[in-house]
Amino acid sequence: MSRIQIDSIRCKGCGRCITACPKDLIAFSQELNDRGYTYVDFTGHQEDCSGCTLCAVVCPDQGIEVWNFKDKQTFVNTAGLTENMTHYCPGCTHGVVHRLTAEVLEELGLLDRAVGIAPVGCSVLAYEYFNIDMFEAAHGRAPAVATGAKRARPELIVFTYQGDGDLASIGGNEILHAANRGEKFTVIFVNNAIYGMTGGQMAPTTMPQQKTTTSPLGRDVETTGHPLRVSELLATLRTPAFIARGSAHDGKHSLQLKKLIRRAFEYQRDNTCFSFVEVLSTCPTNWGLSPDESDAWVESTMMPYYPLGIFKQPEAPAVAATGASHDH
Amino acid sequence: MSKVLMKGNEALGEAAIRAGCVHFFGYPITPQTEVPEYLVKRLPEVGGAFVQAESEVAAIHMVYGAAGVGIKCMTSSSSPGISLMAEGMSYLAACELPCVIVNIMRAGPGLGGILPSQSDYFQATRGHGHGDYQLIVLAPASVQEAVDLMTLAFDLAEKYRNPVMVCADGMIGQMMEPVEFPGEGRGEPFKENDWELTGRKGRARRIVNSLFLAPEELFQHNIHLKEKYGRVHRDEMRWELCGGDEPYDLLLVAFGTMARICKTAIDEVRRDGLRVALFRPITLNPFPLAACRAAMDAMHAKGQVLTVEMNMGQMVQDVRFAAEGSRDVDFYGTAGGIVPSPDQVAAEIRERLAGVRATTPIRLWSGAGLCCEAQGDGVPCAGTDGTCDTCGRAMPAPAAQPAPTGA
Repeated sequence: MSRIQIDSIRCKGCGRCITACPKDLIAFSQELNDRGYTYVDFTGHQEDCSGCTLCAVVCPDQGIEVWNFKDKQTFVNTAGLTENMTHYCPGCTHGVVHRLTAEVLEELGLLDRAVGIAPVGCSVLAYEYFNIDMFEAAHGRAPAVATGAKRARPELIVFTYQGDGDLASIGGNEILHAANRGEKFTVIFVNNAIYGMTGGQMAPTTMPQQKTTTSPLGRDVETTGHPLRVSELLATLRTPAFIARGSAHDGKHSLQLKKLIRRAFEYQRDNTCFSFVEVLSTCPTNWGLSPDESDAWVESTMMPYYPLGIFKQPEAPAVAATGASHDH
Repeated sequence: MSKVLMKGNEALGEAAIRAGCVHFFGYPITPQTEVPEYLVKRLPEVGGAFVQAESEVAAIHMVYGAAGVGIKCMTSSSSPGISLMAEGMSYLAACELPCVIVNIMRAGPGLGGILPSQSDYFQATRGHGHGDYQLIVLAPASVQEAVDLMTLAFDLAEKYRNPVMVCADGMIGQMMEPVEFPGEGRGEPFKENDWELTGRKGRARRIVNSLFLAPEELFQHNIHLKEKYGRVHRDEMRWELCGGDEPYDLLLVAFGTMARICKTAIDEVRRDGLRVALFRPITLNPFPLAACRAAMDAMHAKGQVLTVEMNMGQMVQDVRFAAEGSRDVDFYGTAGGIVPSPDQVAAEIRERLAGVRATTPIRLWSGAGLCCEAQGDGVPCAGTDGTCDTCGRAMPAPAAQPAPTGA
């Protein structure tokens, strides 16, 4: 029989693992942990756990590890992240994207030569979490910082980790030109359709009619335009690149996302091209939804407008990016 | 090594390479564009890279990235572009990353003009980005000194882990002079250090960061920076006092191109027996306050101090600060890209020392032989006894205003 170990101290009680477990073996505890969260417990029969690891995959807080029926640990927290607990709200999938990125770097053996750049936004504190050399950078400027770092030391594996306000709004110029120059670094672009850090303002990626503190009646596309599809936009550039969009809203999509992130870093490792992975991510707090509702909202509202897929790859630079190629 | 004839901007580029600079990030703007145009050819020869950024904003953040991974790098721009770099300079100073920023000043404000000016003195010494930080600012007065100060700039940047600005005007950038370069080929990289991000292999991970959410931590960081700037102000002031060996009745204070013009003017009026000295700050920040004051104190009680600048009165504030009320400090300046001739400065000196007219705290030279009151319609001064009949001002010497370079 397989087993899981839940770290009740790290748990923020978002309940994503409860939803993810195919056998309903996890439930909320009756207790609060030291930080005041209602943590989760394994409450099912031990022999029912198949060791699928989905609970650990969706956990944003490195709170679950898994052993298989031979008592071999099949889900280990990555050495690419520190043990610091994140400041992210319960259910925010930033933690998942952090972990997937760090896992890829670890699996590719790149942690020792990786340099991450996290500019202003919710992920500005990423230097506390990625267990590698890190830059904090000015709002929107990470692609410029990455250009400087990568050009100066091409042997480094350089990546930026940017939110949608940062990348799509104030940093629009920097990302466009870094992509167009074909800078050989990797961008992880976390799109949660809102400004999170400043408390839920409208972003260029905010959905039509979505209510935010600066679009209290819902985003009016007549006066604020339509949500910006950055991946599609960058894919129109002629410069060879790997440009893809994934989502972190459930276990299956998170695992698919990890493959995209892996490909992105492989392209950089092989000095092939600029690589860019957009991630649809949740912001339960500023969306005013529960973590479960947020995950569902990604699928029901964001994914139809922001289709998942690979929009451009260096092997086929001439392919027009008129739509997603759903090949994963 | 023998001397070569070079344009100031190109000499700045070559000097940077001799100082060990291998990367340049910049954006075109007149009158500094020859710096990137020179380096785009030279940097590949020394194993470096040139990146034309999409904006000055991006350029300074590319510098942040390259400096953060421990590579000697620089950018250059001119006044409006330096304004756009303000954000990045604040981050560079906050994160204590060494780099060099060249400002080939042009006339402002706004888009202003492309001709030489010194109107970014406030910006260089007080302004640019947000927060409690300082740049070390060096002001060359010749192409050779621009070369020498580039070497010093990289040394100081590394020593203090701080951005250093070389603040020259369009005149220095565009002028050709014979120069001698230090060393042969590309200079040394940064010495081994504990701050550059090179990947964590074999050591604890490193972070380049200026975010301190806990106020006590930020306060400590501010104190740390203040102590560093204190050391800079104690140890790195540089200046020149010309003609201070003999008694003088008038002390001119000027920097950069203006100081050079003042020197020529002083040589001219000395032939008439006038006793004038020049105090020239080489470091605009730290401004050599004590030395400036000493140069004033060396004069008798009625000695005059005149600050001469190609702006509307900026450094004069520091000179008055140095005087601490001990004597009046007057100002004579031009702006808009107009570079006064030595004769015009000499005329101003003669006028002040002759005492024929009461001096005013601020005097503006009104143009190349144009009447003060009629300058709006450009009527030249006219008079018979060397004084304008309309404005009453001494008529400038007949020498024509030299055409400013860099257009």
